Amino acid sequence: MTINAAGRNIPDTIPGYGEVRHFKGHDRRPPEGCRFGKRNRAAFNTRRDKTLPDLKAAISASGLKSGMTVSFHHHLRDGDYVVNAVIDACAEMGIRDLVIFPTALFKVHKHLTKHIQNGVIRQIMGSVNGPIGQLASEGGFSVPVVLRSHGGRPRAVTSGDVVIDVAFIAAPTADNYGNLTGAVGRSACGSLGYAHSDAHYAQCVVAVTDNLVNYPAPCIQIPQFFVDFVVPVDKIGDPAGIVSGTTRVTRDPMRLLIARNAAKLIEATPYFKDGISFQTGAGGISLAVAAYVREAMRERGIKGSFGLGGITEFFVDMMKEGLFERLLDVQSFDLAAVKSIAENPNHVEISADWYANPWNAGCAVNMLDTVVLGATEVDRDFNVNVNTEADGAMLHGIGGHQDTAAGAQLTIITTPLLRGRIPCAVDSVYTVSTPGEVVDAVVTEFGVAVNPRRQDLIDAAREAGDVPLVTMDELVEKAQELTGPMTPVETEDRIIGVVEYRDGTVIDVVKQLKKK
Amino acid sequence: MKTAQAGTLESMDCIVTVTETEKGRGISIAMEGASIVRFGEAMLKATKDTLKDLGVRDISVSIQDNGAGDLVLKARVEAAVRRFAGVRTP
Repeated sequence: MTINAAGRNIPDTIPGYGEVRHFKGHDRRPPEGCRFGKRNRAAFNTRRDKTLPDLKAAISASGLKSGMTVSFHHHLRDGDYVVNAVIDACAEMGIRDLVIFPTALFKVHKHLTKHIQNGVIRQIMGSVNGPIGQLASEGGFSVPVVLRSHGGRPRAVTSGDVVIDVAFIAAPTADNYGNLTGAVGRSACGSLGYAHSDAHYAQCVVAVTDNLVNYPAPCIQIPQFFVDFVVPVDKIGDPAGIVSGTTRVTRDPMRLLIARNAAKLIEATPYFKDGISFQTGAGGISLAVAAYVREAMRERGIKGSFGLGGITEFFVDMMKEGLFERLLDVQSFDLAAVKSIAENPNHVEISADWYANPWNAGCAVNMLDTVVLGATEVDRDFNVNVNTEADGAMLHGIGGHQDTAAGAQLTIITTPLLRGRIPCAVDSVYTVSTPGEVVDAVVTEFGVAVNPRRQDLIDAAREAGDVPLVTMDELVEKAQELTGPMTPVETEDRIIGVVEYRDGTVIDVVKQLKKK
Repeated sequence: MKTAQAGTLESMDCIVTVTETEKGRGISIAMEGASIVRFGEAMLKATKDTLKDLGVRDISVSIQDNGAGDLVLKARVEAAVRRFAGVRTP
């Protein structure tokens, strides 16, 4: 056992994961090795059509065998049909013991439960939301789930930590020679950002499309020279689950107050000037922060440089209004973002490698001024938990949390002090997802706690005069006073989840819940 | 069977339903809600203390919790018990 830099006591080896590289600090692990990637291949002009009749033909042609690793992207979100269809086909073909390596899973993938229980799937490396997370938390897997951030995952792929045997890439539009795009088609999802590293590095790439067009496809995002086979199917997903409608800014006065506090802090800092770059999530509070910041930009005549990350209609409108010059889009959340990426050259698709990989010559998060993120809990050391719920169940992925927090000049966590009776500011988080050393401020309805490491921000906020400053200890004590003491989560010793930091070290582990 | 209820399912509130039981059966308490896993013991104690203060010996209590703190929970238990006993509440 070793106590890591986040104060967590972690075993030196974990069954089903292997030897642990301990987390020593957010910028402490030097990069290693080289990028090589997939085996070389040649395709001659004797085969000018890569289409195969169905998934089973593609699985067979790909050479996929029991025990191998298959990858998927999550751009079709809760509307995805492809993951379930591929694993169903593998099961019918007698393939077992698969490691599945999705960029994320959603509720729709509850369907995989039976394949986990009967041994078709051995391990999941990737976020496990909802029912599969609950199953993992209760010990439903023989080996631990490995969680990686949006930057940590391409790091693992490009450095060879994870070798993808077959990548199945859901493509809203494809031609018969393997040029792919998400920008158009009945199942359009906009950016295909998370699929790029898989296309570049997987030993075999199978595109699955419900919109096969004449060569060459329009708005090509993933080019033909990465793609081995193309499988046309009836539907790759349900458009209602792929893109959300308009996400509304919250009307909850408490959440609006949190957003207002966050916006005041942003306005008080030296980052709030011409050329500001900005990222928020698509959640209610985040969007409200963006709304307040937009108002302030208009009032003070400030023009930003770029909006980053998961792009929503809100950011599209800000660009149209001239408040951003460009959008760098790794994931398009709604219809307006999908439409914009297909039409506007200033709305640029970026890969997850480009977005957030710490092991390249510089990713987009490094150029970010301000990011507004959420949390399930924060603690006295500013450590953030986004992975586990109050009952100890591992129900959420890391997303870009670690990456943007580490990259941005100003990292703000917004959270209500309590959710129901559950305190969100605690002595010590149940799981460390993002270390406190890269978190600059925690904003609640009871005030703004700035990390003491950032005396410059405290000074700026004091000078502005309208930021309700408190200390983190005050927030934690206020929460305790309101809720009373909690009984601890009861767990077994067995580790069911490994949380990697973006550099591939282990920052924390999640243990199996005790049966009630 | 005689019952009475107090509370709402708003966030940080709860619905408390009390039902009569035979004399000598004692107190039984059933709870559901997301915070029970971390606050179940505190909630049980708050409920039992309130019933004791009110002098209730035999009753069945069902709590549908949506994050109520102890003060709210105690008030809801007391209101439900008083309604059960026929005391008019304003």
